Amino acid sequence: MLVLFTDTDTDVTPEVAKKYNYQLISMPYSIDSKTTYPYQDFDVFNGKLFYDGLRNGNLPNTSAIPVERYVEYFEPHFAAGNDIFYVHFSRAMTATFDNMDAAVEQLKAKYPERKFYEVDTKAITTLSYAIVVEVGKLFKEGKTAEEVLEWAKTEVDKYTMYFFADDLKFFKHSGRVSGIAGTMGNLLGIRPIIYMSQEGKMVSIGKEKGRAKAIARLLAYMDELGDDVKNHPIYIGHTDAEGLVEELAQALKAKLGDDVKYEVVIVNPTAGSHCGPNGIGLCFHSTRR
Amino acid sequence: MATATLNGTIYAEMVRGGAAMLGLNRSVVNDLNVFPIPDGDTGDNMFMTIESGVNNLGEKADDDLGQTAKAIAAGMLSGARGNSGAILSQIFAGISKGFEGMSDADIAAVCAAFECGVSQAYKAVKEPVEGTILTVFREAVDYAKTNADESTSLEAFLDNFIKELYASLKRTPDLLAVLKEAGVVDSGGAGFVYIAEGMKKALSGDAPELVSEHSDASSAHKVDITTFTEDSELKFGYCTEFLLRLQNKKTDVANFDLKVISDYLESAGDSVVAFMDGSVVKAHVHTFKPGDVLNYCQQFGEFLTLKIENMTLQHNETTIKNSFEIKNDFEMKVKPHKRYGLVCCAAGEGLKSMFLDIGTDYVVDGGQSMNPSVGDFLKAFEEINADTIFVFPNNGNIIMTANQAADLYEKADVVVIPTKNIGSGYAAISMFDPTGEPDEVKALLEESADASLTGMVSKAVRDTDKDGVSVVKDNYIGFVGSTIYSAAADKNGAAEGLAEKIATDEYGILMIIRGADTSREEADALARSFEKKYRDHEVISADGGQPVFDYIFIQM
Repeated sequence: MLVLFTDTDTDVTPEVAKKYNYQLISMPYSIDSKTTYPYQDFDVFNGKLFYDGLRNGNLPNTSAIPVERYVEYFEPHFAAGNDIFYVHFSRAMTATFDNMDAAVEQLKAKYPERKFYEVDTKAITTLSYAIVVEVGKLFKEGKTAEEVLEWAKTEVDKYTMYFFADDLKFFKHSGRVSGIAGTMGNLLGIRPIIYMSQEGKMVSIGKEKGRAKAIARLLAYMDELGDDVKNHPIYIGHTDAEGLVEELAQALKAKLGDDVKYEVVIVNPTAGSHCGPNGIGLCFHSTRR
Repeated sequence: MATATLNGTIYAEMVRGGAAMLGLNRSVVNDLNVFPIPDGDTGDNMFMTIESGVNNLGEKADDDLGQTAKAIAAGMLSGARGNSGAILSQIFAGISKGFEGMSDADIAAVCAAFECGVSQAYKAVKEPVEGTILTVFREAVDYAKTNADESTSLEAFLDNFIKELYASLKRTPDLLAVLKEAGVVDSGGAGFVYIAEGMKKALSGDAPELVSEHSDASSAHKVDITTFTEDSELKFGYCTEFLLRLQNKKTDVANFDLKVISDYLESAGDSVVAFMDGSVVKAHVHTFKPGDVLNYCQQFGEFLTLKIENMTLQHNETTIKNSFEIKNDFEMKVKPHKRYGLVCCAAGEGLKSMFLDIGTDYVVDGGQSMNPSVGDFLKAFEEINADTIFVFPNNGNIIMTANQAADLYEKADVVVIPTKNIGSGYAAISMFDPTGEPDEVKALLEESADASLTGMVSKAVRDTDKDGVSVVKDNYIGFVGSTIYSAAADKNGAAEGLAEKIATDEYGILMIIRGADTSREEADALARSFEKKYRDHEVISADGGQPVFDYIFIQM
């Protein structure tokens, strides 16, 4: 049997994980040296509370999980004679998967018959979510691990996300956005526009003046890169920015018609630690990233 | 009294002299190493490393060169500290290999041994960086070897060696941008210059006494832990070093591939140095997660020694001192070097800090009622060590002064972006993007300045009829440039009237900057009203504290 895994950095909640038969690896964050493991230390993510904390001065750190923890996640399944298929957030953004590799290496020595497959979503948060859900659907349709890997080779790059937030402090603290270093200071009202690159990194590609223009720019990328957008899932991810979600949704409807379907996803706290509150992103099917 | 051959006794004296000379000057080397890559103290680390080599000789003098070099190298390996110390130990390990089995050496053999030092040091560093001790040592060895033949004495060899060490050291800022920005030469390279000077002095018996400072050398140097507070950010990670003895029960010691550790270190941090001597692995890395590094490496062995230091703490407590004056020919600028600098004019503390907040390097005091002088601008340019300086006069009456200052200043390329008001200067600097060439940066600044509209509200000083608006003295008027758009008895009334005329959705941001005579309550009421009326704009309030103008609006 094949056991599916994903992690909380992909915005997948226990409900969604259950729907697609994923086991969920919890990726921790810490505030004032108190470490929290999402969906282990709490049952329901209270986005309002978490992002209000960031607004009021919390500056979380994220950390890799140790080798032993990966072993604890994986070993029971290998021991039971099952193989593992892990759809995870971007390797290019973390060292945690080095620990995972070490764990898998250890386990393979112990269970040489067992197989470990992985799909790197080359993304984090909502864009990863989109891919995790697609993979879940494929397995529900009865596809094999090899078929899904083949799908991922081309399709992972065909989901794209553009986003912005309004406080550079979090991007700078996280150090995970390239191109942001030259943007100094606290820019009032100016939004850095960021996208997930094909290498799986967050890359800044310019700035936009004010909320409305920034939202218009997200939609402009959809115009430029979108590929059969309406017949693929569209996601709006946000870091407690209901007002922006409403504005973006209205603009989407104006562009694609009132019958356009989209899903709103609250960004998980670990990924949200990197971009801060009041952020919004648009994820859609595209010709390329 | 030229020396033709090198034996163990002379070599020991040379290394002892090198250690002594470095010991005397270690604080100079430490001071070179404070910014922007804090790494403990290079001078101390190198000194402790070479001292540990000398101490391993004990009291016994050994004429045998190979044995002496080996003892020095072994001592340095176990005592190596810090990045530069680790590399230094590898230089001497390489030299020792070159002298292996020799009781003494002629110049050709000395050259060959020094070359061994070069290759061993380069091998030990996972990704060799040029502009460091590696470069300085390599170039000096090349030069000294090229200029040596069989008649060259050891003294002449060292003279050439030292001459090129200095020359190469001076070039390090050209090779390594971080050095240029910090305005220093490479600290490890500088440390090596002292060692070589000491070696040379030892040949003529002029070397200083080696002063051991074990009391403070062996214990970690005192840190002031109050400089890392509850709110400090860990900017530089931890300098992490250890000696690890590989264990047979954990790994195949005889066939252990160092890459297993060095590749991991490379993924876990930077400034990686790793090498192996028998079953002992020496490693140095700057990492944010020393715990992960230790856990990983302990899979293969047990630690013999360990040192972990918070580099942010070290950085915070160290003041920046950038003087390096052996031979008086290193004159380095004190201000960190930047490619682009930004200077603007503004009056009022709030406005000034608004400009500084968005990345302006220097704000010249001045505005409508007080124009700055050419000298004020020149002083600002002096404060900034940049290749190109962009100047934003932010007032029509100041543009000419800025241009004159730009013409006069020769140490940088000064470009005036002729902004006529605070708003266009603020809009331009907000969109500043330093990633392009000067022409591209300038074009974006000009474009952003033009793509903004600034309106002002101020008190009328006399009655007038202008632009179809009747103005009564002491009423408030709203205007753009010299065109009056509104007049009212109260400032918020004039502000509302002005906004109705000028707010268009071609702009995304409407910024309200309140002046010194406007209360927070007045400004908040205006902002709430604008948020309702201008939904396409993002309304932002700021406290400018400027004189004369009760409000400045910036649309951008």
